[in-house]
Amino acid sequence: MKGLIIWMKDGNGSDESLLDELGTEIRQRGGRVEVFHTKAAEKLGMQEDEKARSEACAMLARHGVVVIASGTGSCTVAPDEEITVREITRIELADHTSHTGFMRDLELAGLVPPPTHDVHPDEEEEILKKLRNLGYLDD
Amino acid sequence: MLVAPHGGRLIDRQYDGEAADEIIREVAESQTLTLNAREKSDLEMIGNGAMSPLEGFMCASDYHSVVDLMHLSSGPVWPLPVVFSKKPGDPDVKVGQHVGLVDDKGTVLGDMVVEDIFDADLMTEAELTLGTTDESHPGVQYLNTLSGTYIGGRIRSIRRRETEEFANYRLDPKETRVLFRAKGWRTAVAFQTRNPIHRAHEYIQKCAMEIVDGLLLHPLVGETKAGDIPADVRMKCYEVLLQDYYPSTRVVMSVFPAAMRYAGPREAVFHALLRKNYGCSHFIVGRDHAGVGNFYGTYDAQMIFDRFDADELGIVPLKFEHSFFCTKCGGMATAKTCAHDAEYKIFLAGTKVRAMLKEGKLPPPEFTRPEIAKILMEAAKGGEQ
Repeated sequence: MKGLIIWMKDGNGSDESLLDELGTEIRQRGGRVEVFHTKAAEKLGMQEDEKARSEACAMLARHGVVVIASGTGSCTVAPDEEITVREITRIELADHTSHTGFMRDLELAGLVPPPTHDVHPDEEEEILKKLRNLGYLDD
Repeated sequence: MLVAPHGGRLIDRQYDGEAADEIIREVAESQTLTLNAREKSDLEMIGNGAMSPLEGFMCASDYHSVVDLMHLSSGPVWPLPVVFSKKPGDPDVKVGQHVGLVDDKGTVLGDMVVEDIFDADLMTEAELTLGTTDESHPGVQYLNTLSGTYIGGRIRSIRRRETEEFANYRLDPKETRVLFRAKGWRTAVAFQTRNPIHRAHEYIQKCAMEIVDGLLLHPLVGETKAGDIPADVRMKCYEVLLQDYYPSTRVVMSVFPAAMRYAGPREAVFHALLRKNYGCSHFIVGRDHAGVGNFYGTYDAQMIFDRFDADELGIVPLKFEHSFFCTKCGGMATAKTCAHDAEYKIFLAGTKVRAMLKEGKLPPPEFTRPEIAKILMEAAKGGEQ
């Protein structure tokens, strides 16, 4: 699979749970993921240097890893034959419809594996309840 | 992990509750198109994901690709058109227009954004998909009722549980998938049926159950032709049979809301792919599956699967020969397992069974379980009255 950088371009450092959730989702699909947290950037002395962070992401992505990171502006790495860069905003990532559409686009482009779960975990609970009510499953 | 849906993603374009109310409000401002019985079934099955990866009624590119090549224009195998036909009373609509989809009583069942309006050569469609243009074929008869103009586009469907037949047996693909996982099944075999279960069917189901984790008994309850045994009678038979002759932990019965197309081989592939979306890894293909009269060879519906790569199908067809009770073997068998002469084999043609039931005679227990025969006999008597 081609390397991918997913870059949240209006990050403010306090919304990394969104990046983690995205990482978990892609990992559950079988993708190799690295979420490049602000803390890691700090340890590497890159917290203020978005160009350096973009380059670090690119280095990881060139090994076929899906790298998820955020910055206050756009990713400075240009896509090439080995890596693709997709940018997203906090609102798009948090909104269910745009999030689903974003993931679907990545999936169709062959950048992330298709979902292995056909039902959202919240919905699964509802379905299990219905199946018990109908007698398909024991209580 | 269960088998992946066809095309990789389970489509979910079915709405209820507030989302459905919103669709109904939007449709109130739009022109509406009327669905016939088959289209109504198709709408439900596109919406609930049974027809994944379809997201709507087919546009010309998919239609022609399916009719000519048995593949969607995007690549996946797909053997039969799933189309909406413009009816004489329908308004003239335009590409890009939002339309409501209603039944013959005007009940809103969904909506569609029109993406394509195209004319089709229905006799070419019949020749290629049904293998005949003979007007005695029910599929050809159906096509002869259509205008020849199809309207394609993505749909949204409304789930109306309160008016659904067999509501307690109606499970969507995502529901069967959750159920299979909850039961710990990794593999499941689907059995498609529009007939009562005789011993021959029971035998092949149980043979299949020996190699998978569970059986999805999936009777078709959509539109069938006159003369077929009504769905409610068949359901009674299945209930009785499951209660006494099957291990309850390894069988799930749910209804399959598709309408019969009687397209024989192509419909066998269609039925298999839809069951893959329900989470089944295997599909039983018996003799003359989805056939009618003498239009198809006994095993045409099995041989068609050989025309596809296993990977592009993604579901394993389990091909069974005609089975029977052999008095010399003392059990059920097929030509693969029994070499005895015909005199030892108990087999009755459907027409003979129907005649016996009408006369109040029970078929031999080696052919039909007595409990089933009694239900069929009562139904046959009721049908006469």
